Amino acid sequence: MTSTAQELHPAPTLEPGRTILELKGLEKRYPGTHALKPVNLAFKASEIHAIVGENGAGKSTLIKLLTGVMPRTSGDVIWEGKPAALATPHEAMALGINAVHQEVVLCRHLTVAANMFLGEEDSRFGILQQRAMVREAQKIIDDLGFDLPAHVVLGDLTIGQQQLIAAARATVRGTKFLIFDEPTAYLTRKEADQLFTLIRRLKGEGVTIIYISHRMEEVFELADRVSVLRDGTLVGTRNIAETNDAELVKMMINRSIEQVYHKEHFTPGATLLEARNLSGKGFENVSMTVRAGEIVGLYGLIGAGRSEFVTTLYGRRRKSAGQILWEGKAVQVNSEHEAIRLGMALAPESRRDQGLCLNLPVGLNLNLPIYKRISSNLLISSAQEKTEADRQIANLRIKTPTRNALASSLSGGNQQKIVIGKWLAHGAKLFIFDEPTVGVDVGTKAEIYRLFSALLSNGAGIILISSYLPEVYELADTLHVFRRGKLVATHGFRTADHEEILTQALAEKQEKPGGQI
Amino acid sequence: MSTEAIPAERPKRNYNALFGLTLLALLVLLWVILSVATPSFASANNISNLLRQGSMIAILAVGQTFVIITGGIDLSVGAVVGFATVIVAMLINAGVPIFLAILITLLVGVAIGMFHGFGIVRMGLPPFIITLATLTSLRGIGLLMTNGNSISINNDAFQMFSRSSFLGVPNLFWMVILVGIPAYIFLHHSRWGRYLFSVGSNAEASRLSGVNVQRTIYMAYTLSGLCAAFVGVLLASRIGIGNPTQAEGWELQAIASSVIGGTSLFGAVGSVHGPLLGAFILATINNGANLLNVNAFWQRIITGVLIIVIVYFDGLRRRGK
Repeated sequence: MTSTAQELHPAPTLEPGRTILELKGLEKRYPGTHALKPVNLAFKASEIHAIVGENGAGKSTLIKLLTGVMPRTSGDVIWEGKPAALATPHEAMALGINAVHQEVVLCRHLTVAANMFLGEEDSRFGILQQRAMVREAQKIIDDLGFDLPAHVVLGDLTIGQQQLIAAARATVRGTKFLIFDEPTAYLTRKEADQLFTLIRRLKGEGVTIIYISHRMEEVFELADRVSVLRDGTLVGTRNIAETNDAELVKMMINRSIEQVYHKEHFTPGATLLEARNLSGKGFENVSMTVRAGEIVGLYGLIGAGRSEFVTTLYGRRRKSAGQILWEGKAVQVNSEHEAIRLGMALAPESRRDQGLCLNLPVGLNLNLPIYKRISSNLLISSAQEKTEADRQIANLRIKTPTRNALASSLSGGNQQKIVIGKWLAHGAKLFIFDEPTVGVDVGTKAEIYRLFSALLSNGAGIILISSYLPEVYELADTLHVFRRGKLVATHGFRTADHEEILTQALAEKQEKPGGQI
Repeated sequence: MSTEAIPAERPKRNYNALFGLTLLALLVLLWVILSVATPSFASANNISNLLRQGSMIAILAVGQTFVIITGGIDLSVGAVVGFATVIVAMLINAGVPIFLAILITLLVGVAIGMFHGFGIVRMGLPPFIITLATLTSLRGIGLLMTNGNSISINNDAFQMFSRSSFLGVPNLFWMVILVGIPAYIFLHHSRWGRYLFSVGSNAEASRLSGVNVQRTIYMAYTLSGLCAAFVGVLLASRIGIGNPTQAEGWELQAIASSVIGGTSLFGAVGSVHGPLLGAFILATINNGANLLNVNAFWQRIITGVLIIVIVYFDGLRRRGK
């Protein structure tokens, strides 16, 4: 354990360009599905190999097979020329195969240092050498260029910082083959940059990186090669220099990129909601209006106060100053219940923590807001309960065996459809979507955007929060930029370019005064 | 599209029903074995006795299950039972009409449950803590009220109730049905039942979906307190005294019955028929062990082992192995 600092620089056992791991006809069948059809693919030493595909295309299955979490059905994995069984996670780790997951799987109540050495603690005569471990961990973190303290409790860090620690942890274990599963989903741009620096550095040290992401620009920024999976089949592998966005999207979904951002313009109707100088925890002095038939986009970094603003509109948090007007009348929204009664609906940011009852059936999740309506006096009408749930499942094409399947058994995109679908039967006038497409594949994204249009054409208004600029840029009729709790700029549909908006969100020195309001 | 989705758990309701059936099969199996092994088990007298023994824990377990489904726990129910015997005994001895005495006792149970809700919702105390505090204080209050003595109830009609039968079935067992049917309708066919599950699964998601989470929590603990007070009335009728130290450890039996009946201590999983069956399985084991002359100390060990075995197999099934 004392040699941790050295292990940070694993000696490349193969010269770059040689095959380190090869899949030969690797296949996985679950009862009822063919999750991964025989895949042949060779990963080279010290390459960054991106894998893209829709949700359920087989990416997660591939990771699970490579990290020994699940046994394969057939095929071979050749590791450094020798067949590897990969029967247990332990075996995979012993070979040098590690993974960093999208959701941080570490102990939030332990310190950063304790997490970094979890399972390989330094102890003398059974006593933990805590100070030595903190020192050691700090050295590693500093060495990686992360500005983070090693002695604090992990839970005190932001999700993004925790993600960096998870990545740092994976690097200290003699890793030769490191899988990143959508690591940037919850990172700020700065944190993402730090992570990219780490990834490039690992590559320089001879580590093979598998990088899984829904974000095309990251793939082009980082990867040497990219493989596309669709429906459990490897559609193809390209050198990054020889391909482009459009080709990859087409390979992923069999459909062109223009069809993804579905945008229809409607004539805005009456004002639904107005916020006047609204302040609360995490944001201050925000004013805006939302009219029927328009999408109001809120763009900014994570932590810029957008979620806090909308949850205050929704009555989840208390406002400290300002006014909320609903259809022209001043209202007090003291509870979510009140907001829902007025006609608001919120699809929150985190499916897992705020959106779904994961260990309950899909049908119950879909009907949760409308149980009052489908009960007569005391009893729920089970016929209505069934038809309402089945209607949403059919309309939104939610892929689930039945409405009684647990929400946790569905893929991310389908879970997101439940989060949105539960409000469709309820019939709101203002829909607030907070990061509706995080971790959602391109095909489902397109379906969600079409749904937006359908809502608008029915006279609803939409607030769309996204940290993904192309999304708000292509969809919002009015685009507000948030930075550190303040609304710093407002644009019409496509009236500013990406760079200007990004600059306003980041508050770089070259801020253009023209964009200010 | 969703390849990971398909090895999904079987539809939940079917699964619950299936588990209910296996529990019922286990109960029937126990009865068959005991009928063969001992001549006295299958006698009408013993069966009545068994039904009486199981009934009170069964009712407690139903209330407890509501609480556990929300992800909480109610450790106070045994103490509430003891306290309720004191209240009802004092009221009857003071000449209050039986009907009114029972009603007031039930309201005391409701008030205790509301207090638990208040502690959890308003004071932010963990359910374990607030109900643990009530457990010990209620016994103390009861002892203060009685000076540590038992109160004999001077009313034969009140005591006759628990000894009588209707259509050959002990009245106490009829009370299980009286509680069980509305509880079943409430949990599985009313929207408040759905809210209990949704709050236990994800309180924040429920709240954002417009569910009144606080009211749901109040409701769960109030129902548990009500069930416990009702059991207190039944117990007072059965033993003919009011004594605050009665029903020691019944909260653990209620929790055990609930868990044997398939309730998950993590919340959001549970039913009404499960805990009822669980309570009668426990009662059968105790009854059978008595008839077989098994040492009372061993009975406790057997009960413990059985809880581990049943819940372990339940966990295996849940993981779909």
